[in-house]
Amino acid sequence: MRNNNLTKRSVGKIINVLLNNTVPIVILLILVFAIPLSNLSGTFIIREIVTRLSRNLFLILSLIIPVLAGMGMNFSIVLGAMSAQIAIIFITDWGIIGIQGVLLAILISTPIAILLGFFAGIILNKAKGKEMVTGFMLSFFVNGIYQIFVLFIMGSLIPISNSEILLDKGYGIRNTINLIGIRQVLDNLIAFDIKGVRIPILLFLIIGLLCIFIIWFKKTKLGHEINTVGQDNDISAYMGINVGKIRILSIVISTILACYGQIIFLQNIGTLTVYDSHIQVGVFTIAAILVGGASVTSANIGNAIIGAILFHAMFVVSPLAGKTLIGNAQIGEYFRVFISYGVIAFSLAVYAWRERIEEKRDEITKGNEI
Amino acid sequence: MTKQIIIRIIFISLLLILGIFLYISGKEHTIFIDNKEITLNDTTYRANSDYKVWIDNKELKVIKKGERGLTKVTGTNHKIMVEKISDKVLTGEKHEMRFRLKMNEKIIIINLPAMINNADEWLIKQIN
Repeated sequence: MRNNNLTKRSVGKIINVLLNNTVPIVILLILVFAIPLSNLSGTFIIREIVTRLSRNLFLILSLIIPVLAGMGMNFSIVLGAMSAQIAIIFITDWGIIGIQGVLLAILISTPIAILLGFFAGIILNKAKGKEMVTGFMLSFFVNGIYQIFVLFIMGSLIPISNSEILLDKGYGIRNTINLIGIRQVLDNLIAFDIKGVRIPILLFLIIGLLCIFIIWFKKTKLGHEINTVGQDNDISAYMGINVGKIRILSIVISTILACYGQIIFLQNIGTLTVYDSHIQVGVFTIAAILVGGASVTSANIGNAIIGAILFHAMFVVSPLAGKTLIGNAQIGEYFRVFISYGVIAFSLAVYAWRERIEEKRDEITKGNEI
Repeated sequence: MTKQIIIRIIFISLLLILGIFLYISGKEHTIFIDNKEITLNDTTYRANSDYKVWIDNKELKVIKKGERGLTKVTGTNHKIMVEKISDKVLTGEKHEMRFRLKMNEKIIIINLPAMINNADEWLIKQIN
Protein backbone atom coordinates (compact mmCIF):
# COMPACT_ATOMS: atom_id res chain seq x y z
CA MET A 1 0.00 0.00 0.00
CA ARG A 2 2.78 2.41 1.04
CA ASN A 3 4.88 1.39 -1.98
CA ASN A 4 1.92 2.04 -4.25
CA ASN A 5 1.55 5.57 -2.85
CA LEU A 6 5.26 6.26 -3.34
CA THR A 7 5.11 5.05 -6.95
CA LYS A 8 2.04 7.18 -7.65
CA ARG A 9 3.79 10.22 -6.12
CA SER A 10 6.94 9.60 -8.19
CA VAL A 11 4.94 9.17 -11.40
CA GLY A 12 3.05 12.37 -10.56
CA LYS A 13 6.31 14.22 -10.05
CA ILE A 14 7.76 12.94 -13.32
CA ILE A 15 4.60 13.93 -15.21
CA ASN A 16 4.77 17.37 -13.61
CA VAL A 17 8.43 17.83 -14.64
CA LEU A 18 7.62 16.66 -18.18
CA LEU A 19 4.64 19.01 -18.41
CA ASN A 20 6.66 21.95 -17.11
CA ASN A 21 9.50 21.28 -19.55
CA THR A 22 7.59 20.15 -22.63
CA VAL A 23 9.23 22.69 -24.95
CA PRO A 24 12.89 22.01 -24.03
CA ILE A 25 12.29 18.24 -24.14
CA VAL A 26 10.67 18.43 -27.60
CA ILE A 27 13.50 20.61 -28.94
CA LEU A 28 16.08 18.28 -27.39
CA LEU A 29 14.44 15.30 -29.11
CA ILE A 30 14.41 17.16 -32.43
CA LEU A 31 18.12 17.93 -31.96
CA VAL A 32 18.92 14.30 -31.17
CA PHE A 33 17.48 13.34 -34.57
CA ALA A 34 18.69 16.41 -36.48
CA ILE A 35 22.38 16.44 -35.43
CA PRO A 36 23.30 13.10 -37.10
CA LEU A 37 21.22 14.06 -40.16
CA SER A 38 23.09 17.36 -40.56
CA ASN A 39 26.48 15.57 -40.91
CA LEU A 40 28.12 18.48 -39.06
CA SER A 41 31.19 17.81 -36.95
CA GLY A 42 31.00 18.20 -33.18
CA THR A 43 33.69 20.91 -33.22
CA PHE A 44 31.73 22.93 -35.78
CA ILE A 45 28.50 22.71 -33.79
CA ILE A 46 30.27 23.64 -30.52
CA ARG A 47 32.08 26.55 -32.21
CA GLU A 48 28.83 27.87 -33.66
CA ILE A 49 26.98 27.50 -30.36
CA VAL A 50 29.75 29.28 -28.43
CA THR A 51 29.72 32.15 -30.94
CA ARG A 52 25.94 32.39 -30.85
CA LEU A 53 25.83 32.16 -27.06
CA SER A 54 28.23 35.08 -26.70
CA ARG A 55 26.28 36.99 -29.35
CA ASN A 56 22.72 36.44 -28.07
CA LEU A 57 22.75 35.57 -24.38
CA PHE A 58 22.88 39.17 -23.16
CA LEU A 59 19.75 39.96 -25.20
CA ILE A 60 17.95 36.89 -23.88
CA LEU A 61 18.83 37.76 -20.27
CA SER A 62 17.27 41.20 -20.74
CA LEU A 63 13.85 39.51 -20.76
CA ILE A 64 14.00 38.21 -17.17
CA ILE A 65 13.16 41.33 -15.12
CA PRO A 66 9.81 42.15 -16.82
CA VAL A 67 8.73 38.51 -16.26
CA LEU A 68 9.48 38.97 -12.54
CA ALA A 69 7.29 42.07 -12.61
CA GLY A 70 4.43 39.99 -14.02
CA MET A 71 4.56 41.70 -17.40
CA GLY A 72 5.25 38.56 -19.41
CA MET A 73 7.71 38.46 -22.28
CA ASN A 74 8.84 41.96 -23.14
CA PHE A 75 8.30 42.28 -26.89
CA SER A 76 9.24 45.94 -26.60
CA ILE A 77 12.95 45.03 -26.24
CA VAL A 78 12.90 45.90 -29.94
CA LEU A 79 12.92 49.52 -28.73
CA GLY A 80 16.25 48.92 -27.00
CA ALA A 81 17.61 47.38 -30.18
CA MET A 82 16.55 50.48 -32.13
CA SER A 83 18.35 52.73 -29.62
CA ALA A 84 21.51 50.70 -30.11
CA GLN A 85 21.23 50.95 -33.89
CA ILE A 86 20.77 54.73 -33.85
CA ALA A 87 23.92 55.07 -31.71
CA ILE A 88 25.86 52.72 -34.00
CA ILE A 89 24.83 54.75 -37.06
CA PHE A 90 26.18 57.88 -35.34
CA ILE A 91 29.54 56.38 -34.38
CA THR A 92 29.93 54.95 -37.89
CA ASP A 93 29.25 58.38 -39.36
CA TRP A 94 31.75 60.03 -37.03
CA GLY A 95 34.36 57.35 -37.74
CA ILE A 96 34.82 56.27 -34.13
CA ILE A 97 36.28 52.78 -34.14
CA GLY A 98 37.55 50.11 -31.77
CA ILE A 99 36.56 49.71 -28.15
CA GLN A 100 36.04 53.48 -27.97
CA GLY A 101 33.38 53.16 -30.67
CA VAL A 102 31.54 50.44 -28.74
CA LEU A 103 31.71 52.40 -25.46
CA LEU A 104 30.56 55.60 -27.17
CA ALA A 105 27.66 53.68 -28.74
CA ILE A 106 26.72 52.47 -25.23
CA LEU A 107 26.94 56.03 -23.91
CA ILE A 108 24.79 57.50 -26.70
CA SER A 109 22.21 54.73 -26.76
CA THR A 110 21.57 54.62 -22.99
CA PRO A 111 19.50 57.85 -22.75
CA ILE A 112 17.57 56.88 -25.91
CA ALA A 113 16.84 53.45 -24.41
CA ILE A 114 15.76 55.02 -21.10
CA LEU A 115 13.41 57.38 -22.94
CA LEU A 116 11.90 54.65 -25.12
CA GLY A 117 11.69 52.25 -22.16
CA PHE A 118 9.89 54.88 -20.12
CA PHE A 119 7.46 55.46 -22.97
CA ALA A 120 6.88 51.71 -23.35
CA GLY A 121 6.39 51.37 -19.58
CA ILE A 122 3.68 54.05 -19.56
CA ILE A 123 1.87 52.43 -22.49
CA LEU A 124 2.12 48.94 -20.95
CA ASN A 125 0.75 50.28 -17.65
CA LYS A 126 -2.35 51.34 -19.53
CA ALA A 127 -2.74 47.82 -20.91
CA LYS A 128 -2.42 45.73 -17.75
CA GLY A 129 -2.96 42.05 -18.44
CA LYS A 130 -2.31 42.51 -22.17
CA GLU A 131 1.34 43.58 -21.95
CA MET A 132 2.69 41.11 -24.49
CA VAL A 133 0.39 41.92 -27.38
CA THR A 134 0.67 45.63 -26.54
CA GLY A 135 4.47 45.37 -26.47
CA PHE A 136 4.38 43.58 -29.83
CA MET A 137 2.24 46.29 -31.42
CA LEU A 138 4.26 49.02 -29.72
CA SER A 139 7.41 47.70 -31.36
CA PHE A 140 5.70 48.08 -34.77
CA PHE A 141 4.61 51.61 -33.91
CA VAL A 142 8.07 52.71 -32.73
CA ASN A 143 9.57 50.96 -35.76
CA GLY A 144 7.60 53.44 -37.88
CA ILE A 145 9.06 56.38 -35.97
CA TYR A 146 12.52 54.80 -36.20
CA GLN A 147 12.16 54.50 -39.97
CA ILE A 148 11.13 58.14 -40.31
CA PHE A 149 14.12 59.11 -38.16
CA VAL A 150 16.62 57.03 -40.10
CA LEU A 151 15.14 57.48 -43.56
CA PHE A 152 14.31 61.20 -43.50
CA ILE A 153 15.69 63.02 -40.47
CA MET A 154 19.22 61.59 -40.61
CA GLY A 155 21.05 63.47 -43.32
CA SER A 156 18.49 66.26 -43.55
CA LEU A 157 17.91 67.66 -40.05
CA ILE A 158 20.76 65.71 -38.45
CA PRO A 159 23.94 66.11 -40.50
CA ILE A 160 25.49 62.87 -41.75
CA SER A 161 28.81 63.38 -43.51
CA ASN A 162 29.86 59.81 -44.28
CA SER A 163 28.87 59.20 -47.90
CA GLU A 164 29.33 55.45 -47.42
CA ILE A 165 26.27 55.28 -45.15
CA LEU A 166 24.21 58.04 -46.73
CA LEU A 167 21.75 57.38 -49.54
CA ASP A 168 22.53 58.97 -52.92
CA LYS A 169 19.62 61.41 -52.59
CA GLY A 170 21.54 63.15 -49.78
CA TYR A 171 19.42 62.12 -46.81
CA GLY A 172 18.48 58.79 -45.24
CA ILE A 173 20.71 55.88 -44.32
CA ARG A 174 21.59 53.02 -46.64
CA ASN A 175 20.03 49.61 -46.05
CA THR A 176 23.28 47.97 -44.95
CA ILE A 177 26.16 49.49 -43.02
CA ASN A 178 29.54 47.83 -42.74
CA LEU A 179 30.66 47.94 -39.10
CA ILE A 180 34.26 47.09 -39.89
CA GLY A 181 35.50 49.63 -37.32
CA ILE A 182 33.88 47.84 -34.37
CA ARG A 183 33.63 44.34 -35.82
CA GLN A 184 34.27 41.71 -33.09
CA VAL A 185 36.07 44.26 -30.94
CA LEU A 186 34.61 42.81 -27.74
CA ASP A 187 34.99 39.23 -29.01
CA ASN A 188 38.69 39.58 -29.68
CA LEU A 189 39.75 41.84 -26.80
CA ILE A 190 40.24 38.90 -24.43
CA ALA A 191 39.86 35.54 -26.14
CA PHE A 192 41.64 32.24 -26.59
CA ASP A 193 41.31 29.09 -28.68
CA ILE A 194 40.61 25.60 -27.37
CA LYS A 195 40.96 22.94 -30.08
CA GLY A 196 39.80 25.29 -32.84
CA VAL A 197 36.95 26.77 -30.80
CA ARG A 198 37.43 30.47 -30.08
CA ILE A 199 36.21 31.45 -26.61
CA PRO A 200 35.43 35.18 -26.25
CA ILE A 201 36.32 35.45 -22.56
CA LEU A 202 35.46 39.14 -22.21
CA LEU A 203 31.95 38.65 -23.56
CA PHE A 204 31.34 35.70 -21.27
CA LEU A 205 32.65 37.80 -18.36
CA ILE A 206 30.20 40.57 -19.27
CA ILE A 207 27.37 38.02 -19.50
CA GLY A 208 28.50 36.53 -16.16
CA LEU A 209 28.40 39.99 -14.59
CA LEU A 210 24.87 40.49 -15.90
CA CYS A 211 23.85 37.15 -14.34
CA ILE A 212 25.37 38.24 -11.01
CA PHE A 213 23.59 41.59 -11.37
CA ILE A 214 20.23 39.82 -11.91
CA ILE A 215 20.78 37.54 -8.90
CA TRP A 216 21.83 40.51 -6.74
CA PHE A 217 19.02 42.67 -8.06
CA LYS A 218 16.39 40.09 -7.06
CA LYS A 219 17.64 40.35 -3.46
CA THR A 220 17.49 44.16 -3.28
CA LYS A 221 14.48 46.06 -1.96
CA LEU A 222 13.58 47.04 -5.51
CA GLY A 223 13.93 43.43 -6.63
CA HIS A 224 11.58 42.27 -3.87
CA GLU A 225 9.11 44.99 -4.83
CA ILE A 226 9.25 43.90 -8.49
CA ASN A 227 8.64 40.32 -7.38
CA THR A 228 5.70 41.36 -5.19
CA VAL A 229 4.20 43.37 -8.06
CA GLY A 230 4.66 40.29 -10.23
CA GLN A 231 2.70 38.16 -7.74
CA ASP A 232 -0.27 40.48 -7.30
CA ASN A 233 -0.78 44.12 -8.26
CA ASP A 234 -3.59 44.76 -5.78
CA ILE A 235 -1.73 43.33 -2.78
CA SER A 236 1.38 45.30 -3.79
CA ALA A 237 -0.62 48.54 -3.95
CA TYR A 238 -2.15 47.70 -0.56
CA MET A 239 1.39 47.24 0.81
CA GLY A 240 2.24 50.78 -0.32
CA ILE A 241 4.27 49.86 -3.40
CA ASN A 242 3.91 52.21 -6.35
CA VAL A 243 2.94 49.48 -8.83
CA GLY A 244 2.97 51.70 -11.93
CA LYS A 245 6.43 53.06 -11.14
CA ILE A 246 7.86 49.58 -10.48
CA ARG A 247 6.45 48.25 -13.75
CA ILE A 248 7.88 51.19 -15.71
CA LEU A 249 11.25 50.70 -14.02
CA SER A 250 11.39 47.03 -14.93
CA ILE A 251 10.65 47.84 -18.58
CA VAL A 252 13.29 50.61 -18.58
CA ILE A 253 15.91 48.20 -17.17
CA SER A 254 14.94 45.56 -19.74
CA THR A 255 15.12 48.09 -22.61
CA ILE A 256 18.56 49.32 -21.52
CA LEU A 257 19.86 45.75 -21.25
CA ALA A 258 18.37 44.89 -24.66
CA CYS A 259 20.09 47.95 -26.08
CA TYR A 260 23.49 46.76 -24.78
CA GLY A 261 22.65 43.26 -25.99
CA GLN A 262 22.01 44.56 -29.49
CA ILE A 263 25.37 46.42 -29.47
CA ILE A 264 27.09 43.14 -28.51
CA PHE A 265 25.12 41.33 -31.25
CA LEU A 266 25.95 43.85 -33.98
CA GLN A 267 29.64 44.18 -33.14
CA ASN A 268 29.85 40.40 -33.44
CA ILE A 269 28.01 40.26 -36.78
CA GLY A 270 29.92 43.25 -38.19
CA THR A 271 27.05 44.40 -40.39
CA LEU A 272 24.03 46.51 -39.55
CA THR A 273 20.90 45.96 -41.63
CA VAL A 274 19.41 49.32 -40.72
CA TYR A 275 15.77 48.55 -41.42
CA ASP A 276 15.71 44.86 -40.42
CA SER A 277 18.24 44.00 -37.69
CA HIS A 278 15.94 44.98 -34.81
CA ILE A 279 12.69 43.49 -36.12
CA GLN A 280 13.37 39.83 -35.34
CA VAL A 281 15.12 40.56 -32.02
CA GLY A 282 11.94 40.29 -29.96
CA VAL A 283 10.62 37.09 -31.51
CA PHE A 284 13.95 35.22 -31.58
CA THR A 285 15.05 36.11 -28.04
CA ILE A 286 11.62 35.32 -26.60
CA ALA A 287 11.51 32.04 -28.52
CA ALA A 288 14.98 31.20 -27.17
CA ILE A 289 14.08 31.78 -23.50
CA LEU A 290 10.82 29.82 -23.94
CA VAL A 291 12.76 26.95 -25.50
CA GLY A 292 14.83 27.02 -22.30
CA GLY A 293 11.75 26.19 -20.24
CA ALA A 294 10.67 29.68 -19.24
CA SER A 295 7.02 30.62 -19.26
CA VAL A 296 5.09 33.87 -19.40
CA THR A 297 5.05 33.93 -15.59
CA SER A 298 8.49 32.59 -14.69
CA ALA A 299 11.94 32.93 -16.20
CA ASN A 300 15.42 32.61 -14.79
CA ILE A 301 19.06 32.65 -15.83
CA GLY A 302 19.07 28.86 -16.32
CA ASN A 303 16.17 29.11 -18.80
CA ALA A 304 18.08 31.77 -20.74
CA ILE A 305 21.29 29.70 -20.95
CA ILE A 306 19.58 26.39 -21.79
CA GLY A 307 17.30 28.17 -24.26
CA ALA A 308 20.20 29.90 -25.99
CA ILE A 309 22.07 26.60 -26.37
CA LEU A 310 19.07 24.58 -27.62
CA PHE A 311 17.58 27.27 -29.84
CA HIS A 312 20.87 28.12 -31.51
CA ALA A 313 21.91 24.49 -31.84
CA MET A 314 18.68 24.08 -33.78
CA PHE A 315 19.52 27.18 -35.84
CA VAL A 316 22.86 25.67 -36.80
CA VAL A 317 21.66 22.15 -37.46
CA SER A 318 18.20 22.49 -39.02
CA PRO A 319 19.08 23.82 -42.53
CA LEU A 320 21.51 20.96 -43.20
CA ALA A 321 19.26 18.39 -41.54
CA GLY A 322 16.43 19.65 -43.77
CA LYS A 323 18.69 19.34 -46.80
CA THR A 324 19.61 15.73 -45.97
CA LEU A 325 16.04 14.78 -45.16
CA ILE A 326 14.17 16.49 -47.99
CA GLY A 327 16.94 17.67 -50.28
CA ASN A 328 16.25 21.34 -49.68
CA ALA A 329 18.09 23.54 -47.14
CA GLN A 330 15.28 26.08 -47.37
CA ILE A 331 13.02 23.60 -45.55
CA GLY A 332 15.34 23.76 -42.55
CA GLU A 333 15.25 27.55 -42.72
CA TYR A 334 11.44 27.53 -42.72
CA PHE A 335 11.50 24.97 -39.94
CA ARG A 336 13.49 27.17 -37.57
CA VAL A 337 11.24 30.16 -38.24
CA PHE A 338 8.25 27.85 -37.67
CA ILE A 339 9.81 26.72 -34.37
CA SER A 340 10.43 30.33 -33.27
CA TYR A 341 6.83 31.39 -33.73
CA GLY A 342 5.48 27.94 -32.80
CA VAL A 343 7.25 27.93 -29.43
CA ILE A 344 5.81 31.34 -28.56
CA ALA A 345 2.30 30.29 -29.60
CA PHE A 346 2.63 27.01 -27.69
CA SER A 347 3.80 28.75 -24.50
CA LEU A 348 0.96 31.25 -24.69
CA ALA A 349 -1.54 28.44 -25.23
CA VAL A 350 -0.15 26.47 -22.26
CA TYR A 351 -0.29 29.62 -20.13
CA ALA A 352 -3.91 30.27 -21.11
CA TRP A 353 -4.79 26.61 -20.51
CA ARG A 354 -3.24 26.65 -17.01
CA GLU A 355 -4.98 29.91 -16.14
CA ARG A 356 -8.32 28.40 -17.16
CA ILE A 357 -7.66 25.30 -15.05
CA GLU A 358 -6.76 27.48 -12.05
CA GLU A 359 -9.89 29.57 -12.56
CA LYS A 360 -12.01 26.40 -12.59
CA ARG A 361 -10.21 25.15 -9.48
CA ASP A 362 -10.95 28.47 -7.72
CA GLU A 363 -14.59 28.25 -8.74
CA ILE A 364 -14.86 24.69 -7.36
CA THR A 365 -13.13 25.74 -4.10
CA LYS A 366 -15.47 28.72 -3.72
CA GLY A 367 -18.48 26.48 -4.44
CA ASN A 368 -17.36 24.02 -1.74
CA GLU A 369 -16.91 26.87 0.77
CA ILE A 370 -20.46 28.10 0.13
CA MET B 1 17.23 67.75 -2.82
CA THR B 2 19.93 70.26 -3.84
CA LYS B 3 22.62 67.70 -3.00
CA GLN B 4 20.86 65.15 -5.23
CA ILE B 5 20.70 67.65 -8.12
CA ILE B 6 24.40 68.47 -7.71
CA ILE B 7 25.30 64.76 -7.74
CA ARG B 8 23.22 64.27 -10.89
CA ILE B 9 24.84 67.26 -12.62
CA ILE B 10 28.31 65.94 -11.71
CA PHE B 11 27.39 62.47 -12.98
CA ILE B 12 26.05 63.79 -16.30
CA SER B 13 29.12 66.05 -16.67
CA LEU B 14 31.42 63.07 -16.09
CA LEU B 15 29.53 61.08 -18.73
CA LEU B 16 29.86 64.00 -21.16
CA ILE B 17 33.60 64.22 -20.49
CA LEU B 18 33.89 60.46 -21.00
CA GLY B 19 31.96 60.80 -24.28
CA ILE B 20 34.30 63.55 -25.53
CA PHE B 21 37.36 61.48 -24.51
CA LEU B 22 36.00 58.42 -26.36
CA TYR B 23 35.21 60.56 -29.42
CA ILE B 24 38.71 62.03 -29.56
CA SER B 25 40.61 58.83 -28.77
CA GLY B 26 38.48 56.65 -31.06
CA LYS B 27 38.34 58.95 -34.11
CA GLU B 28 39.77 57.21 -37.13
CA HIS B 29 42.24 58.92 -39.46
CA THR B 30 43.49 57.47 -42.74
CA ILE B 31 47.20 57.92 -43.42
CA PHE B 32 48.70 57.55 -46.89
CA ILE B 33 52.45 57.14 -46.88
CA ASP B 34 54.06 58.13 -50.19
CA ASN B 35 57.54 57.11 -51.13
CA LYS B 36 57.36 59.26 -54.25
CA GLU B 37 59.14 62.25 -55.70
CA ILE B 38 57.61 65.56 -54.61
CA THR B 39 58.29 69.22 -55.33
CA LEU B 40 57.66 71.61 -52.46
CA ASN B 41 58.48 75.33 -52.64
CA ASP B 42 60.63 74.81 -55.79
CA THR B 43 62.64 72.05 -54.13
CA THR B 44 62.34 68.52 -55.46
CA TYR B 45 62.72 65.61 -53.04
CA ARG B 46 63.49 62.37 -54.86
CA ALA B 47 62.60 58.89 -53.73
CA ASN B 48 65.88 57.00 -53.73
CA SER B 49 65.34 54.04 -51.42
CA ASP B 50 62.78 51.61 -50.06
CA TYR B 51 61.67 52.13 -46.45
CA LYS B 52 60.32 50.01 -43.65
CA VAL B 53 57.65 52.01 -41.80
CA TRP B 54 56.26 51.89 -38.25
CA ILE B 55 53.35 54.04 -37.14
CA ASP B 56 52.78 54.22 -33.38
CA ASN B 57 55.16 51.24 -33.10
CA LYS B 58 52.89 49.21 -35.40
CA GLU B 59 54.88 47.63 -38.20
CA LEU B 60 53.69 48.32 -41.73
CA LYS B 61 54.86 46.77 -44.96
CA VAL B 62 57.98 47.94 -46.80
CA ILE B 63 57.16 50.89 -49.03
CA LYS B 64 59.18 50.67 -52.20
CA LYS B 65 60.31 53.57 -54.37
CA GLY B 66 57.34 55.16 -56.17
CA GLU B 67 54.80 53.29 -54.05
CA ARG B 68 52.12 54.36 -51.59
CA GLY B 69 51.23 52.68 -48.33
CA LEU B 70 48.03 53.05 -46.30
CA THR B 71 47.20 52.69 -42.65
CA LYS B 72 44.50 53.81 -40.27
CA VAL B 73 45.08 55.28 -36.82
CA THR B 74 42.91 56.53 -33.97
CA GLY B 75 43.48 59.43 -31.62
CA THR B 76 45.45 62.64 -31.91
CA ASN B 77 49.15 62.06 -31.13
CA HIS B 78 51.18 59.83 -33.41
CA LYS B 79 54.71 58.81 -34.22
CA ILE B 80 56.15 57.66 -37.54
CA MET B 81 59.46 55.88 -37.76
CA VAL B 82 61.13 54.77 -40.98
CA GLU B 83 64.23 52.74 -41.63
CA LYS B 84 66.08 52.77 -44.93
CA ILE B 85 66.41 49.52 -46.84
CA SER B 86 69.36 48.91 -49.08
CA ASP B 87 69.75 45.70 -51.11
CA LYS B 88 66.75 44.28 -49.24
CA VAL B 89 68.55 44.73 -45.90
CA LEU B 90 67.64 47.19 -43.13
CA THR B 91 70.51 49.68 -42.92
CA GLY B 92 69.84 50.99 -39.42
CA GLU B 93 69.40 54.55 -40.76
CA LYS B 94 66.25 55.60 -38.92
CA HIS B 95 64.14 58.74 -39.05
CA GLU B 96 61.44 59.53 -36.55
CA MET B 97 58.79 62.25 -36.54
CA ARG B 98 55.86 63.04 -34.29
CA PHE B 99 52.65 64.65 -35.44
CA ARG B 100 49.35 65.74 -34.02
CA LEU B 101 45.99 65.40 -35.75
CA LYS B 102 42.80 67.37 -35.27
CA MET B 103 39.34 65.82 -35.24
CA ASN B 104 38.37 67.07 -38.70
CA GLU B 105 41.59 65.92 -40.36
CA LYS B 106 40.34 62.68 -41.82
CA ILE B 107 42.99 61.98 -44.47
CA ILE B 108 46.72 62.60 -44.04
CA ILE B 109 49.41 62.19 -46.66
CA ILE B 110 52.98 61.72 -45.48
CA ASN B 111 55.71 62.07 -48.07
CA LEU B 112 58.74 60.04 -46.98
CA PRO B 113 61.44 61.81 -49.08
CA ALA B 114 60.17 65.18 -47.75
CA MET B 115 60.05 63.85 -44.18
CA ILE B 116 63.58 62.45 -44.31
CA ASN B 117 64.88 65.76 -45.63
CA ASN B 118 63.02 67.66 -42.87
CA ALA B 119 60.88 69.61 -45.32
CA ASP B 120 58.22 71.74 -43.63
CA GLU B 121 55.37 70.31 -45.70
CA TRP B 122 56.18 66.61 -45.27
CA LEU B 123 52.67 66.07 -43.92
CA ILE B 124 49.59 67.15 -45.85
CA LYS B 125 46.27 67.15 -44.02
CA GLN B 126 42.93 66.96 -45.78
CA ILE B 127 40.04 68.35 -43.79
CA ASN B 128 36.73 66.56 -44.10
